[in-house]
Amino acid sequence: MNELTPVLNKELRATIIQMIHRAGEGHIPSSFSILDAIHFLYTEILKYDPKKPKWEERDYFVLSKGHGCAALYVVLNKYGFLKGQDLIDYGKPGAILGGHPDVTCVPGAEASTGSLGHGFPTAMGLALGLRIKNRPNRVFALLGDGECHEGTVWESANVANNLELGNLCALVDWNGSAAQLMSKDDLPGKWKSFGWEVQVVNGHSDQELRAAFSRLTYAPRGTPKVIICQNVKGWGVKQVQGHGIWHHKIPNEQEMAAMLEELK
Amino acid sequence: MKKIRVEFADTMLEIGPQDPDLVVMVGDISHGILQKFAKECPGRYYNVGICEPTIVNMAAGVAKAGLVPVVHTIAPFLIERAYEQIKLDFGYQILPINLVSVGGAFDYSQLGCSHHCYTDFSLMSHFARASVFCAGSPVEFNQLFKQTYRNGGINYYRIPEYAHRVEFRPEQIQAGKGICVREGHQITLATFGTSLNACLDAADILAGCGISAEVLYFHTIKPIDQELVEKSLTKTKRLFSVEETSASDGLLNRIWAASRHIPTVCYEQLAIEDFIHGYGSYEDLCEKVGLTATGVADRAKKFLKDRA
Repeated sequence: MNELTPVLNKELRATIIQMIHRAGEGHIPSSFSILDAIHFLYTEILKYDPKKPKWEERDYFVLSKGHGCAALYVVLNKYGFLKGQDLIDYGKPGAILGGHPDVTCVPGAEASTGSLGHGFPTAMGLALGLRIKNRPNRVFALLGDGECHEGTVWESANVANNLELGNLCALVDWNGSAAQLMSKDDLPGKWKSFGWEVQVVNGHSDQELRAAFSRLTYAPRGTPKVIICQNVKGWGVKQVQGHGIWHHKIPNEQEMAAMLEELK
Repeated sequence: MKKIRVEFADTMLEIGPQDPDLVVMVGDISHGILQKFAKECPGRYYNVGICEPTIVNMAAGVAKAGLVPVVHTIAPFLIERAYEQIKLDFGYQILPINLVSVGGAFDYSQLGCSHHCYTDFSLMSHFARASVFCAGSPVEFNQLFKQTYRNGGINYYRIPEYAHRVEFRPEQIQAGKGICVREGHQITLATFGTSLNACLDAADILAGCGISAEVLYFHTIKPIDQELVEKSLTKTKRLFSVEETSASDGLLNRIWAASRHIPTVCYEQLAIEDFIHGYGSYEDLCEKVGLTATGVADRAKKFLKDRA
């Protein structure tokens, strides 16, 4: 990651800001951190049918880092799972979209997440279940680096390695949040020590993501894979970038206008 | 009588070959007795490891793949340690699960409170989609499991270490239905699991004192058998629950909810109030908390005297 990395998905970032401003709820920097990786997955990797979100042949994407769900919502909307009105209604009573995804009402969401350390074990179990059913579907899960403080993440990494879940691929949003609390944060080394096939990429670069995914092979039995995305929290809008007060802050009218201006 | 835990393994073996969706996951217990299942049903048995929250959590993924997971380990680790996983991954997401425990209450009496679990019924009862069972004999487990494991709900089956002595016929066991084991008209003793023995013996003691006690047995704690409760309490007006579980949210609460519309019923409870410190045999700890025939009979006599 460097200053020369172009900011992708500006329109989607603008939509996220507007959604969160309107609802008075949401995590802008976390969503910006993972937006590009999610967008890349839905654009180039995942097999799905937005008209049939429960299509049996689909790949599964579990957003384990549930508080970054605004990024998932705008991508699901772009690719036809949601309606524009769903984004407008985000956070309102009766809406299907809220501050963490609810699998019972969000088309395309594969798990209700929010409590960290739940989505990834679910994805791991799903990979096992699909293998038991002799199904070729792949399972992807996106975790936060702070989420990697949770014990269930490493229990699941251990189990996935021992069960040889070669149909499972994790992405980790390595944006430095975790290192603020525990500075010994060698995530590539940790995942490698758990037996996973590890790649480290710039998670805001389609080119690097494409290269990383092109190296992966999937099989019901094999080595589980992790792509560690070196991301920047709040990437795309300097005002919210980094680990400051914007983690769960809602922009006022003026702040929103400045952010949208930057994204033009 | 066969151990109930062995019946669990036998029941998996009975169902597994016929139901290709049944998947059994354990936390390094009952591994030996499940080997026949593992052999008969290849790829559907996992001794995952010592990581109970993850086992429960990954079972949600297994369920999402369209399979029917059974997770089995010791009650404090299955229910208390993994409670958030049960709540969010199955309750919130509306997924099916079958949780089968051993070591409920103080069955692991020699191992201290780290291996006790008094709150399993209470915790599991909080989910609207939950059914809570205590299979006090092998036939109960076999019948209850077969009747319910595919109901799409959150099913919890506690397996006591020690079966009670009553031999029910398979057709007597219906999920959601209690059993009147002994008829009486002055007081209703309501219980589940191994404590049925203490209640039957207590009923004999009470009979010797001229007191006619009815004994109701509940292998299903939730949903409670409303009809049986109403029938008994309309007659006796005195309910004494004898519970090898926490005093909070156990059998008494469910019976009270099912009978509060009946006028002038009085209630008493013998249950576990707090941690049972100390060691000893299962019988030693029963003695300590009063879950014995004389303990039950004495409390019943006092209850009747106080509420005469």
